[in-house]
Amino acid sequence: MSRPAHPHAMAPHKPGRTRTAPPQMPSTWWSAPRIRNYLLFDATGIVYYLISFLAIGMIQALGRGPEAWNAVMARMQHPAYIAFHVLCFVSVVFVAIRFFSLFPKAQPKAIGPLKPPPGNVIHAALYVVWFAITAGMTALLAGWIF
Amino acid sequence: MRAFLLKIEPLIWLLFGQGILIGTMLLTGWILVVGLLIPLGMVDASALSYDRAHALATASLFGVVPVGKLVLAALLVLPLWKGAHHVRSLHVDFGGAERDGVVGVILYGIALVGSVVGIGAVVGL
Amino acid sequence: MAEKTIVITRFDPDKDQAPRKQEFKVPCEPDWKVLDAVNFIKDELDGSVSHRWSCRMAVCGSCGMMVNGEPKLTCKTSINDYGDRIDIEPLANFPVVRDLVVELDGFMHKFESVKPWIVRAKEKAADQAALHPSKGTYSQSAEELATFKQFSMCINCMLCYAACPVVANEPEFLGPAAIALGHRYNMDSRDEGNAERNAIFRGEGTVFSCSYANECSEVCPKNVDPAAAVNQAKFEAVIDWAKNLVLPRGGA
Repeated sequence: MSRPAHPHAMAPHKPGRTRTAPPQMPSTWWSAPRIRNYLLFDATGIVYYLISFLAIGMIQALGRGPEAWNAVMARMQHPAYIAFHVLCFVSVVFVAIRFFSLFPKAQPKAIGPLKPPPGNVIHAALYVVWFAITAGMTALLAGWIF
Repeated sequence: MRAFLLKIEPLIWLLFGQGILIGTMLLTGWILVVGLLIPLGMVDASALSYDRAHALATASLFGVVPVGKLVLAALLVLPLWKGAHHVRSLHVDFGGAERDGVVGVILYGIALVGSVVGIGAVVGL
Repeated sequence: MAEKTIVITRFDPDKDQAPRKQEFKVPCEPDWKVLDAVNFIKDELDGSVSHRWSCRMAVCGSCGMMVNGEPKLTCKTSINDYGDRIDIEPLANFPVVRDLVVELDGFMHKFESVKPWIVRAKEKAADQAALHPSKGTYSQSAEELATFKQFSMCINCMLCYAACPVVANEPEFLGPAAIALGHRYNMDSRDEGNAERNAIFRGEGTVFSCSYANECSEVCPKNVDPAAAVNQAKFEAVIDWAKNLVLPRGGA
């Protein structure tokens, strides 16, 4: 049929008068596109861990001096690192798109007298800020400004 | 373990939230240039030569606010908390609720150690 | 009129070790809902099939079942949305009492634990002063109502529990409907029970276990959007936690 859920999922506080069949997860659990998207979203956590470790390693190299920094930058040309960064890029875009759509409705209705702007305004603003920060950082790191 | 996690959960959620929000926004440009454009030769490597990279990382506003280090610290540290929280969630998705306390402590512990090391690396520039 | 094969999950605790599937050939009318097909089976083909239903119009919340793997209100789901074979199972993530009937006590307990009623800090004569002078009732503006009205539309059909991956894996999790209802009362201007509810929201059933899969809101037949409620509740719980750090509450 389908995968069992946790044996105590939605269990009653006291046993009922008759034997019950154990709870099952939906039979579409692994195949439904929405569930796959959700699991991928959680799986990007692994990517975020890895990119952080890598970036920390790179900054440590920067702290050690020009030789260490040049060596680590040269290593980024290796196909494995390029493939990893493509995965990272796809991951952050995927996370951004999903998170930006979920963010507006999770905002509190009011903080004291302050009320948040309408949901679609927040949604659009998130994209604007993301593009602005990305453009700014790209221009900065690529040497197009300053 | 789980009782301890319950106590600090609000703080973790805040860090995780910023990891997703600020971390994602900062990471995009970094991945693009450092991970793809420069290694693929589409941007000249001199853009992030040691001298320029170091200058950017230690840049300060009005000689007082260390913007470079602040942005870098955020970029290094915040994604760790997003990573920890979501890997923990993935573990529960695959039926790991029984060991959630231990796994959670380990994952957040890794994020904490990474944060300390990351901030140390930035401060030491 | 088209004949469809309706597959019903059967389970009789007195006779069956485990649930099994039974197929029925049902002559379906084009305007039927899935519930009509199940009722036909019980009325004409096999009277031993057990299922819950009542209002036939999506307000009582009784007829929730898995239809081809998705949680649906069977009275609201057209038979035309499906092909020749329809697989009907009891709601996922719940223990099964018999056939398509699931055990509800677990939900009832979570539901009650969030104190889903107006809590007033003190019920005294002094409170009378807060009452509307001419009507003797509490006054609430349309704007105040708007902050929680959506969350009060829940019909307790529990489709959200069947869809939630955390409910499936973490038995203590309060779950979408219970948290949405608790949040509804927290947002109600007449209510003064925020502190008590936020303590429950940060307890064993913690709202922070929600991983924002958003499945609950996808399947909700009344557009309650429990995911919004749960994630707003997280924010409120953080504020409550921060306030507690700075100004600890005395007593329980």
